[in-house]
Amino acid sequence: MAGVLVLVEHAGGEPDELSLQALTFARGYASGEPVEAVLIGDGAAGAAPALGEHGVATAHVAELDGGFAPQASARAVAELAGRLSAAAIVAAGSDRGNEILAHAAVMTGGTLAANCIAATPGDPAQVTRMRWGGSLLEEARLHGSVKLLTVAPHAVAIEPAPCAEPDVQPFAPELRDEDLVVRVTERVDTSTGGLSLAESPVVVSGGRGVGSSEGFGALEELAGLLGGVVGCSRAVTSAGWRPHTDQVGQTGTKISPELYIPCGISGATQHMAGCKGAKKILAINADPEAPILASADYAVVGDLSEIIPAITAELRRVRAG
Amino acid sequence: MFGALGLVAALGLFGGIFARRARLLVRLVRMGKPSGIERADELPARLRQEAVVVLGQRKLLQKLVPGLMHAFIFWGFLVLFPTIVIAMIGIVDRESTLPWLGHQGWFALLVDVFVVLVFAGVGIALYIRKVVRPNRFEGSHLGEADLILGWITGIVTTLLLWHAARIALGLNEYDADWAPVSNALSGLFGDGDVSEALERVLIWAHVLLILGFLAYLPRSKHLHIFTAAVNVYFARTRARGRLEPLRFDEDLPEEEMRFGIGTVEDLTWKQMVDSMSCTECGRCQEVCPAWATGKTLSPKLVIMGVRDHLFAEGPLALAARESGEAYEGPLVASTDSLEEMAWDCVTCGACVRECPVNIEHVDHILDLRRHLVMVESRFPTEAEPMLRDVERQSNPWGKPQSERAAWTEGLDVRVLEPGDRAPEVLYWVGCAASFDERARVTAQSTAKLFAAAGVDFAILGPREACNGDPARRMGNEYVFQAYAEQNVETLEQAGVRKIVASCPHCFNTLANEYPDFGGSYEVVHHTELLAELVRDGRLSPAATEQTVTYHDSCYLARHNDVLAQPRELAAAVGRPIEMQRSGKRTFCCGAGGAHMWMEENAKPINEERVREAAATGAETLAVACPFCTVMLDDGVQSTGAGMRVADVATLLAEAVEAGADGDRSDAGADGKAGA
Repeated sequence: MAGVLVLVEHAGGEPDELSLQALTFARGYASGEPVEAVLIGDGAAGAAPALGEHGVATAHVAELDGGFAPQASARAVAELAGRLSAAAIVAAGSDRGNEILAHAAVMTGGTLAANCIAATPGDPAQVTRMRWGGSLLEEARLHGSVKLLTVAPHAVAIEPAPCAEPDVQPFAPELRDEDLVVRVTERVDTSTGGLSLAESPVVVSGGRGVGSSEGFGALEELAGLLGGVVGCSRAVTSAGWRPHTDQVGQTGTKISPELYIPCGISGATQHMAGCKGAKKILAINADPEAPILASADYAVVGDLSEIIPAITAELRRVRAG
Repeated sequence: MFGALGLVAALGLFGGIFARRARLLVRLVRMGKPSGIERADELPARLRQEAVVVLGQRKLLQKLVPGLMHAFIFWGFLVLFPTIVIAMIGIVDRESTLPWLGHQGWFALLVDVFVVLVFAGVGIALYIRKVVRPNRFEGSHLGEADLILGWITGIVTTLLLWHAARIALGLNEYDADWAPVSNALSGLFGDGDVSEALERVLIWAHVLLILGFLAYLPRSKHLHIFTAAVNVYFARTRARGRLEPLRFDEDLPEEEMRFGIGTVEDLTWKQMVDSMSCTECGRCQEVCPAWATGKTLSPKLVIMGVRDHLFAEGPLALAARESGEAYEGPLVASTDSLEEMAWDCVTCGACVRECPVNIEHVDHILDLRRHLVMVESRFPTEAEPMLRDVERQSNPWGKPQSERAAWTEGLDVRVLEPGDRAPEVLYWVGCAASFDERARVTAQSTAKLFAAAGVDFAILGPREACNGDPARRMGNEYVFQAYAEQNVETLEQAGVRKIVASCPHCFNTLANEYPDFGGSYEVVHHTELLAELVRDGRLSPAATEQTVTYHDSCYLARHNDVLAQPRELAAAVGRPIEMQRSGKRTFCCGAGGAHMWMEENAKPINEERVREAAATGAETLAVACPFCTVMLDDGVQSTGAGMRVADVATLLAEAVEAGADGDRSDAGADGKAGA
């Protein structure tokens, strides 16, 4: 076919969102050449028909027994790519996508570029990929007979391309014993309930400016109303007002909420290192010179003991109304 | 005849016990891995060290009373050494003595004087141990110390009484008036058979006590008698802030490769001699900021732990080697609380400076960390983001490298691009002064001052990467060496010869550690260059009435002897007052050894230091290190000390500005007068 084979991950009979992004990416890369999909594991056949919405005419399905085994999945992908003479293999830049394609690269003798955000076919192919946790974009040339690409999550928007329901072709890859050495044998649920500081969409933090452990009551109330949790600065844990598990910062928890509300926190480098992932920062501080105001999207300069109750009261009023 | 045979038997017995133990110790040290730095060079410097530290007892005399106590006993035994030979000759033939020396009256006087001084020394020691009971002895073997003091007393008592008995019997080869103490005591003896028998008993008791002591010593903490002089000889002669580099090159034979201290087989010979030299005096413990603030670490307990581990596991490792088997013993870090202690250290080096026998505690602690980090991957989790950010983002806070020169906004600072003409001085800003809000002020002040004085300087901007110190002090030698190589390459390409660093940690690394990686530059700290500019009249600060106390950074003062220049600057901007612990005996701010990026247990070190600074009554706490700035400023806020914390460069910039304003208004006044 000399086209592109896309590994589609799926769960609960639905193709995975990141894999659909990878499909959009692959169609662009294929520039007209055929794009075929491969789905592996339990429930693969159920997820295949939905791919018609995304321009897939042929979906290969390998219902492998047992838990997920990265090398076995890679064997299926590599075998299929060989049979189809695919010029490129694309997968989502998920943990699994990266892992399977890394194995597949070895099996096919191809070259892999992970976390791509753009690619132009050719020999060599031109790729732009994310390095160092997204802090660096690398322009690279990809040589090799088979090119394997994983797509950085959320770097490409899904563009549906409806066509006929795909032709689903089951196949059974020839697995070797060593392909099943590493596989998932058991799942243990670790969810503990409640919202963690690291994951909470809203974090209200207090610093030395809060004045005392009692002062955190108002912050708890505000966080509760916003569906968030309370954090604090290092000065607060040093003073013993809050436990270390509440600390946001370089040596505490790194957070990335939608909204971060630091109250009475000056914004020392050590603190800012922990909240640089926040989408929006609303700083409340009595000191107009506090460095945190420079990093904040919104800032209120004034007395915490007046401002926080005012916000809380307004929130209650709006919600009641 | 009986005497000679008895002496030979005693020498054989005690000498044998001694030799057996000595052989084990020598075999252990020979098993030690090579040290990472040259320790046999600079003969004159090492001999001087020997003369000053060992013979002169200088480090002991840092504490006057305990120092005199030790000096009396030590000098006493040096002087009394020939009396051992005299006593042995006396056992064989009571009518004989050492040719010449045994007949000298002045020597008899010297012996009497030093016997008294040894008694005085023992008396002081007992007073210190039983009455004063300083907390530095916590964790030391106190009973063993008492036994040794008793033994010493026995040796000099029998010597003195033996001399007295000989005078009473008329056996003295010198004029008895030369030996007033022995002579006075001779009245205790008559001249009959009883005295003759007593003379024999005393001489035998004396010699057996000495031989017994000799046999006991290498099994006790008093082993330092043999090892201390060796240890002092091989200690660092300079660049005390330089860590021993680990060698990872592939052509290194496997048995020489080490990743810090894992098992006993990874100890260097120097670390072994260090541990054998410790006499548990606890001076290191007394000055340790971690110990002073209630943490687990005591440098003394680290060295004792290494020693205990060495003596327990070393013989097993030797036996395994002999039988050609692989030794698979426990980690040294598993001894007592060594692992926990290793993470408490701020690498301030106060222990090393204080140690009377030049033990280098920080090398042990760093090597323990290196193994835990590089082999076991076991370290305080909160330091993980720092290590990751240093590795990926070239700075410990994970700031974008492209913002490194952002602090220069509005200032005229040349950023060196590849191919640009090299400046006379490269200003190495460091991560803290580049990114930290409070420390940036220092960089801005320094740049303004350089510009005002017409210094030809430039910065590397985004091409400057972390020097690697935080990773290295954390134990991650790989990351450090990668940065050392990268930065040396950048500096070489830029044609840099002279560097001024704003951070004492960068300064120490660039000056003392980069030469190990091919980068040798003239490196100064900004306080040194600024003091020179003031001295040359290129900067004219106007001093104010503000009282200023200067806090010495460990890496500047203790590790690198930069003491005078920051003080000159403090004096140029205000009225200086010294803190109790200053200069080379400074007390850490709490950030060293990568503690800037770790959580602190027990009491905060920075608050302890701020309280000391506040006690001077000074309005301004002057510093010369960005980490001290942050730590002490935090400490001032949490203790409510009400002082201003500022880098001397910032204070100088203000004073120079005030001076310029003064000049302008003077000029204005002159102008009017002229008109």
